[in-house]
Amino acid sequence: MPSLGYVVRRVLQMVPTLVFILVVTFVLVRLLPGDPLSAIAGDRVTDAQVAQARAAYGLDEPLLTQFLIYVRHVATGDLGRSIVVQAPVRNLVTERLPPTLMLTAMSVLIGVGLAVPLAFASALRRGRAADFAIRAGAQISLSMPVFYIGLVLLTVFAAQLRWFPVGGYGDDWGERAYHLFLPAVTLGVSLAAILMRNLRAAIIEVLGAEYVDFARAKGLATRVVLLRHVLRNALISTLALLGPTVGALLGGAVITESVFAIPGIGRLMIESIYGRDYPVIQGLTLILALLVSLAFLVTDLIQAALDPRVAR
Amino acid sequence: MARALSVRGLSTVFPSPQGMLTAVDGVDFDLAPGEILGLVGESGSGKSVTLRSILRLVHAPGRVTGQVLWGGRDLLALGESEFRKLRGREIATVFQEPMTALNPVLTIGRQIDESLRAHTRLDRRARRARAIELLDLVGIPAPGTRLGDFPHQFSGGMRQRAMIAVALAGEPELLLADEPTTALDVTIQDQILKLLLGLRARTGMGMVLVTHDLGVVAQSCDRVAVMYAGRIAESGPVAAVFAEPRHAYTRGLIGSVPRAGTERRPLLSIEGTPPGLGERPSGCAFHPRCGFATDICRTAAPPMENVAPDRLSACWNHAAVAAAREAA
Amino acid sequence: MSGTQAVRALRLPRIPLTLAAGIAILLVALVLAAVPQLVAPYSPTAFDYKAILKGPSLAHPFGTDNFGRDILSRTIWAYRVDLQIALFGTIFAAVFGTLVGAVVGYVGGWAEIVFGRVVDMIVTFPFLVLVIAIVAVLGPGLLNLYIAVSAVGWIYYARIVAAGVAVQRRLDYAAAARVLGYSTPRIVLRHLLPNVVSAALVFWMTDMALCILLGSSLGYLGLGAQPPAAEWGVLIADGKNYMSTAWWISIFPGLAIVTTGLGFSLLGDGLADLLRPRR
Repeated sequence: MPSLGYVVRRVLQMVPTLVFILVVTFVLVRLLPGDPLSAIAGDRVTDAQVAQARAAYGLDEPLLTQFLIYVRHVATGDLGRSIVVQAPVRNLVTERLPPTLMLTAMSVLIGVGLAVPLAFASALRRGRAADFAIRAGAQISLSMPVFYIGLVLLTVFAAQLRWFPVGGYGDDWGERAYHLFLPAVTLGVSLAAILMRNLRAAIIEVLGAEYVDFARAKGLATRVVLLRHVLRNALISTLALLGPTVGALLGGAVITESVFAIPGIGRLMIESIYGRDYPVIQGLTLILALLVSLAFLVTDLIQAALDPRVAR
Repeated sequence: MARALSVRGLSTVFPSPQGMLTAVDGVDFDLAPGEILGLVGESGSGKSVTLRSILRLVHAPGRVTGQVLWGGRDLLALGESEFRKLRGREIATVFQEPMTALNPVLTIGRQIDESLRAHTRLDRRARRARAIELLDLVGIPAPGTRLGDFPHQFSGGMRQRAMIAVALAGEPELLLADEPTTALDVTIQDQILKLLLGLRARTGMGMVLVTHDLGVVAQSCDRVAVMYAGRIAESGPVAAVFAEPRHAYTRGLIGSVPRAGTERRPLLSIEGTPPGLGERPSGCAFHPRCGFATDICRTAAPPMENVAPDRLSACWNHAAVAAAREAA
Repeated sequence: MSGTQAVRALRLPRIPLTLAAGIAILLVALVLAAVPQLVAPYSPTAFDYKAILKGPSLAHPFGTDNFGRDILSRTIWAYRVDLQIALFGTIFAAVFGTLVGAVVGYVGGWAEIVFGRVVDMIVTFPFLVLVIAIVAVLGPGLLNLYIAVSAVGWIYYARIVAAGVAVQRRLDYAAAARVLGYSTPRIVLRHLLPNVVSAALVFWMTDMALCILLGSSLGYLGLGAQPPAAEWGVLIADGKNYMSTAWWISIFPGLAIVTTGLGFSLLGDGLADLLRPRR
């Protein structure tokens, strides 16, 4: 296990990242032409509301003060108010976060579930027809936009074959998994292609490692050698992809949720863009960036736990 | 119960764009039970590939032919599962570089344990006790506390001891050691050799010691087989071969090692470098570098011959080499 | 030596295979983008109410949409927009990122450390989310898409080039150039960059493929190219409500995305093979 010192150091490393995320989301709204007030409170407001908002966000103060006020708001969980829905952004986000998280988790499961056996099949048959076919498949799926894959799956498996619902979300876990299956496959296929390529390269490298020969020389069964020595070590080196992967998945979720009409934060993002609901856009960008930096943190901690060579 | 190893006509080839590359070319040698054979040669001579071929560790597309007779059974002809039961159990191996041969993300205890699981019926607790015993046997202090350590937490010498402990887990009758001391400091080299000799004395296991270091051979081996360009040049008891080499290459090799106790004199060195895999000369592969070479050496490969009691040599001019001994 | 010749003879046919396929696909794409009016059988915008939602036929190989517009012609005209997205969405990032990377790698020391921290911070930001957020604020449209992609994308080129230059800088010939009294910019531009730029070039190919995916995704969401401009993502979005009855409206533009993306990938792989230093 990673030592406490390592964990503390790694968490402290997040501080500049967090500051950066806050700066970007702060600047984002101020990039809008005109008075930031209209971005924060909307255009249809009374004079009293204007005065109140000006005071609350310190809009007459210097930028640095405004930034500190923003940071204080975020720290206390205040992400502003939606202009369109007239509700706190925080409530909107917490309400719509679960489908997105579940979609992401299912995509990772499907992606890893596809990638591991395919990477093995490809690496162990290197240079043969199966390897070529798997790699060509990965290349093609990487060249396909997510919305296109989703649209095709939706048409074939939901609209035509009626095996799955055409979209939406469910009331209980089983129903949700059923609704999210096709979208998760959509994201999982792209993820599997990326993971497969990296894992294949890692497996090929590990297969040539001397400790794999040594494990064989010890008389271990092939299965044990492949799982305990090859897969384990290959996965550890591929694990570094987890952080960027979650980032890509959350980005992909924005698109997938639109295709499948899933009430998650990705769809909320698009709705907010159409509605020019800037406080929600700002809050969502912040939350998504936080989730990804959290994924990077978790990646590093898992890696430190699995790989004893990582600094403790 | 103790078995002898005899290798007959062992060849290992690798296909390449330049055609078949022959790394090992018809190697024969014998090892009596409990004997230590030094397999010596320069890098690229095929000695490590020979060792890997015996253990069937040559990666595709490399191909191994010939016979490896172990107690009368041909290891190269055994079925995969049958061979696996024997590998690590009857014949174990130690590699040159423990840092790369030990899995970096598994504890030493785990790596001993998986060998014990594969080859014994001991339960969890007994395996742990045995693992501690093994670490103790190879001279690792405080073995109980080191089971949970990872390879990178050991020093170089201790890592090599740990790898030997892993190899000993199956209580092998034969240990194939590929340059086990090359990666280590001189003082630690000596300790590891002493450890191996001590283990032989205690367990009676035989050993093939691959090395490029004649000092190691002189210090620890009963017999020596000298390899050059994929073939055995000469073999015989260590003392006899060192005293009276019967192959020009052996003579050059011995001449290039400084010996304690003799007066200082310029070392004999062999001109040139060993041929690469694809560039083996015709006839005797050593002839371009050989001071004894005659016409026949350039055209025909010398056969392995009994040149003296218990001495084999593949040199057309072995008599001349033996006679020239004093002139060196 | 005959040995290396044999190796080359064996390798040669393999490299051009990916490279040639990539070049062929992209050449076709370039021709379609350059002179769509000569290739496309119909106008991309002409309505034909006598041929609404017709499936693939000889007259309309890719079928027609709900206004009777010819999908083949629209797909062909879209090459111009999407290749433009690939180019303008990456060229600034590639040039600027390469320059920044060269400077960072050459200066080394504190610059490398600071740069490393900046990279760590930026890569934490989900790329697509950031681009969407920037487009959301600046407003939909291609220009804002380019701004958003460039604002984020340069960092990847800079990272590649900085790492490469840092390695090259330590090699002997850089020292030799310095001893000869060449100025710093000259050393960086004339001596260090050419050795590093191939890695950035290979990444550029991949990046253009990614940029088409991104551009069409934003087009699909209504945040990229604006209708009636023919852009593959927009075309696919046009057909999404007809997927069950008139699949061809969306499927064929999607195939154009896939083949073009493959073209860039193959070209990138082929270049990587070609430029990889030989032993």
